[in-house]
Amino acid sequence: MVALARKTLVYEWRRFLPAILAVGFAGLLQLLQLALVLGIFGATSVYITGSSADVWIGYPGTQSVGSGRSIDANVQSRILMDPAVTRVEPYEWIDGDWRGTGDTGGVSVFVSGIDTSADGLMFSKVLPAALRTRLAEPDAVIVDRADLGKLGVTLDGTATINGRRVRVVGVSSGLRGLGGINVLASLDTARRLDTDDDDAGPTYLVAKLSDPTQANAVARRLRGSAAFGPYTTWSAADFARISVRYWLFDTGAGAGVLFLAGIVFLVGAVITSQTLVGAVQGSVREYATLNALGVGVGALRKVVLEQAFWVGALGLVGATVLGVLLLLAARAEDVPVTLGPIAALACIALVMGQAAVSGMAAMRSMRRIDPATLLR
Amino acid sequence: MNATMPTAAATPRAPILRADHVCKAFASGKLHTQVLNGLSLSIDPGELTLISGPSGCGKSTLLAVLSGLQKVDSGHVHALGSELGQLDLRALEHFRLQHTGFVFQGFNLFPALTALEQVELPLNHMGLSKQEARARARRSLEEVGLAHRIKLRPSELSGGEKQRVAIARALAKEPELLFADEPTSALDAANGQTIIDILHTIARTHGTTVLCVSHDPRLVAHADRVLAMEDGRILSDRRPDASASKETPP
Repeated sequence: MVALARKTLVYEWRRFLPAILAVGFAGLLQLLQLALVLGIFGATSVYITGSSADVWIGYPGTQSVGSGRSIDANVQSRILMDPAVTRVEPYEWIDGDWRGTGDTGGVSVFVSGIDTSADGLMFSKVLPAALRTRLAEPDAVIVDRADLGKLGVTLDGTATINGRRVRVVGVSSGLRGLGGINVLASLDTARRLDTDDDDAGPTYLVAKLSDPTQANAVARRLRGSAAFGPYTTWSAADFARISVRYWLFDTGAGAGVLFLAGIVFLVGAVITSQTLVGAVQGSVREYATLNALGVGVGALRKVVLEQAFWVGALGLVGATVLGVLLLLAARAEDVPVTLGPIAALACIALVMGQAAVSGMAAMRSMRRIDPATLLR
Repeated sequence: MNATMPTAAATPRAPILRADHVCKAFASGKLHTQVLNGLSLSIDPGELTLISGPSGCGKSTLLAVLSGLQKVDSGHVHALGSELGQLDLRALEHFRLQHTGFVFQGFNLFPALTALEQVELPLNHMGLSKQEARARARRSLEEVGLAHRIKLRPSELSGGEKQRVAIARALAKEPELLFADEPTSALDAANGQTIIDILHTIARTHGTTVLCVSHDPRLVAHADRVLAMEDGRILSDRRPDASASKETPP
């Protein structure tokens, strides 16, 4: 078979270049947008990704880390009974109202009460050991360096949370969250800051396993017992995904991202389809001649679809090369970007989908192919 | 109206192509133009038939309906035993694929393809094997005298050579019917003569029925039969070299 689509693409590459660029840049935009959004919203799961717990135990139906509800403290002994579990610790989440000494008014904060022992699981990846020990001091809290200004406080300064005095004993980095400021405290301090009398037990229990790869199986196994009141379990990865998804889709943020993605898709598709239509129009007499010779319109449409496929594939290659370079640059500059295999696959699907839509739109212009017009 | 029924009585063979009382009109806005009005015609196999006449006389439209590129408004077109009006779009395409070749005034070659590929492309769609398609394409190009140019693209070929590629493309299909529309009008005298000779040879050696629309007087000498058209009617039907020529009064 003579490869008409490919040979034309190579021979008349100038004609197809705008489409390849349109597909490529649209793909690049989608890719970077997705990586940025996932990076930024990834901050909503810093509690999970910054900790070394493998399994999380919390109230059933919890939609994100920030919307937990207290569970029975006795669940801890039930979890510890599982042979795969090597350590369990409580994690307190308290919504607080921060009043600093500066002119900052009230600031909404998320207080994380964590185990301060050296082998504590919570925030083990973002909190240096020395700082963790200092949290054991009464009323001690740690905040992210970047949040000091917003909180109107300096290192060793004091403020109040929910009307009770706290002292900033240290600053860390990598604690910034989304929707509020993270404040770390010991479990004891956090419990004293909790003004809600209904909170009898911890918000979460987090567990470490002897074999972290078994997280899903153990989480499933630990579920289902109701002897200690309602609770459920997630593997850390699952719970992080649930939290990010909550922020992406159940808040307005995700809709905005999807809207932008739609616009980029549309613009790319319009440019691509117009280029392909131009290519069809440029060869309309040749196509009509083939049709006069009996080559079916269906076969001619396939040529256009194949060209659309190659335009998409070439655009994808360009977008991938540029995208990888830009993502590496962003990482180097501490811009939060994350791109997993699923997101990358979604981008590939978007680009090829865009090429397919463009190809089909261009195929419509083939209706004008009428071999009778070649006779004059 | 003044429908004429030319009778090719000298030929014992059955007509390969027949039009019965064919009407065809075009509407452009409110303007209604009757191009063919009850025209009847028989074309004998293996002949080079020339349809000539002034522009606008309907000769291209006649070619379009005889070749199955356009449907008639009324009347019938029989080609190789098929009634073309009965065939749907797909069946018409299939009919053209199996039985017809076309040569147009413009050469309509794909800029990206070499001469060999231009000729090979339609053969691919006829269900021939890759080897056979290539061999046939090569043979056809040799026959039109382009054996040494098969690797060249249209931009590297002269006008006459391009038209020879177009003829080879039609010829390689080994069609029973070859339709040519003003095949020489875009060419100079020498190239035009070459094309005429090739068309003539095709009718002689392959037994292909060649129906050619042209106002090129040089073609007349090579045609087995010349039909003169005017205002959608056939004015005259003659055979330049045969005693059986017959003139129809206007």
